[in-house]
Amino acid sequence: MVSLSFKTRIPVFDANICVGDLHDGLSFCRNRDQLLTDMDLHGVHRALVYHVQAETISPLDGNCYLESWLDNGGRIYPQWLVMPSPDSIAQVQTLYAKGKVQSVRLYNTRAIGLPFRPWVYDGLLSWLSQVRVPTFISLPDADSDELVTTLSAYPKLVTVLVGAHYQHALWVRPVLAALPNAYLELSRYEPIGEIEALRDEFGARRLIYGSWYPRYAMGPMLFYLHHTTLTEAELALVCAGNLTRILEERL
Amino acid sequence: MIEGSRVIDFHGHVGRWDIYGMVDNPDLMLQAMDAVGIDHACLFHIFHPDSVSSNDLTARFVARYPDRFVGFAYVSPLISSGCVDELSRAIDELQFSAIKLYPPYTPWPLNQPQWYPIYEFADDRGLTIIFHTDSGSQSRPKFLADIAPRYPNANFVAGHSGNTAEPRREAIAAARACPNVYLETCSTFRTPGVIEELVDGVGVDRVLFGSDMPLMDPRSQIGKIITARISDEAKQKILGGNAGRLLGI
Repeated sequence: MVSLSFKTRIPVFDANICVGDLHDGLSFCRNRDQLLTDMDLHGVHRALVYHVQAETISPLDGNCYLESWLDNGGRIYPQWLVMPSPDSIAQVQTLYAKGKVQSVRLYNTRAIGLPFRPWVYDGLLSWLSQVRVPTFISLPDADSDELVTTLSAYPKLVTVLVGAHYQHALWVRPVLAALPNAYLELSRYEPIGEIEALRDEFGARRLIYGSWYPRYAMGPMLFYLHHTTLTEAELALVCAGNLTRILEERL
Repeated sequence: MIEGSRVIDFHGHVGRWDIYGMVDNPDLMLQAMDAVGIDHACLFHIFHPDSVSSNDLTARFVARYPDRFVGFAYVSPLISSGCVDELSRAIDELQFSAIKLYPPYTPWPLNQPQWYPIYEFADDRGLTIIFHTDSGSQSRPKFLADIAPRYPNANFVAGHSGNTAEPRREAIAAARACPNVYLETCSTFRTPGVIEELVDGVGVDRVLFGSDMPLMDPRSQIGKIITARISDEAKQKILGGNAGRLLGI
């Protein structure tokens, strides 16, 4: 039964939230309290959060700015940006040594002006694979051939491909098929019927809910997921279980 | 139906666009519609500038489920000579209910004379026109404020409500200035607060739910309305009440 109001039926762990102001624009979400309020409103219990300046300006500075957004209540999980530079890798390795790293997100692999190839990334990817840190990668910011060719050399590395859009509709299947340890984050992916189709082809274990809040609203994709033919068990995996599992398997 | 209210999706496509995963499958569309209580989907085909081909494809598609799909006529001023005749055929013979225009597929901004015969036809017949609107030079929503007052018997719908922040403000301004301008909600940008912004800007009676199906799944797009911080009465009007009034269905 469809209703004019919507409540999630299961615990939700949002895999894709960025906080903070851009250098050239203010965020819709002004502070941690607003983030938690919006999470409560939409039934999101936990969120994996990175700082937008780490994604767009400096991973090192942005990761520092993230600290002020973290809570003590265990609902906001930090995600650290990293790029293949000595300073950036050292920062994340220091955080790791303190037990603070559950996942990382690669800085835009196109924007750094170097290819996403082992001769640039091997040191970073070998370490991430060795310490089993799930690695989030923006699909729109990657070259598909480099992505598959390079990640195939690190079969134990768990990756989450973030931000696929209908413009990537022809990418998704071959990439998921070629990278059995890759998951697809769903915030922007809405060609008709694709959630069920990907479930049928790859299993619900390969799909992860994220909102991309505050660029996108939290609620619409959750509403969508709750009105698919996913079973309750599959829905639970997509909305929280898969993300929880890959973060915990690292430990 | 959702809680006893009819739901009309005002923006959908016929045709394939394979690189974007857009498939031409009425059954898949119905499955998604049924999952969230969408009663009717308004559909158009926009890939043939001769218009006849597009409208015939739409008619064939709508005929598969005529109680669920509503055909909209598509014409392009790229072939200006037959535009009005084709509109007459589409409305009178194919029984289409409104008109879809796609300015980015032409060189002309939507307030230029090449479009006027279409507007005159809509004005004469009291029809509704839905435009693709965005930040592009042909499809800025601010142009609606130039034309809408001149054709008071027609209604003008800003598809996507401009799509992004600045053209969205233009769309709201055009609707505030012109009582025959409406705002439609589909967008790949599911920006927080947009539905509330539209309602605050023009009130609940001139906002229309649309999905852009099958390019986008109607379930995520209707989710924008359901999860917006607006009243249930506003949701009912946006989801179908306003569209039913415009289309006379």
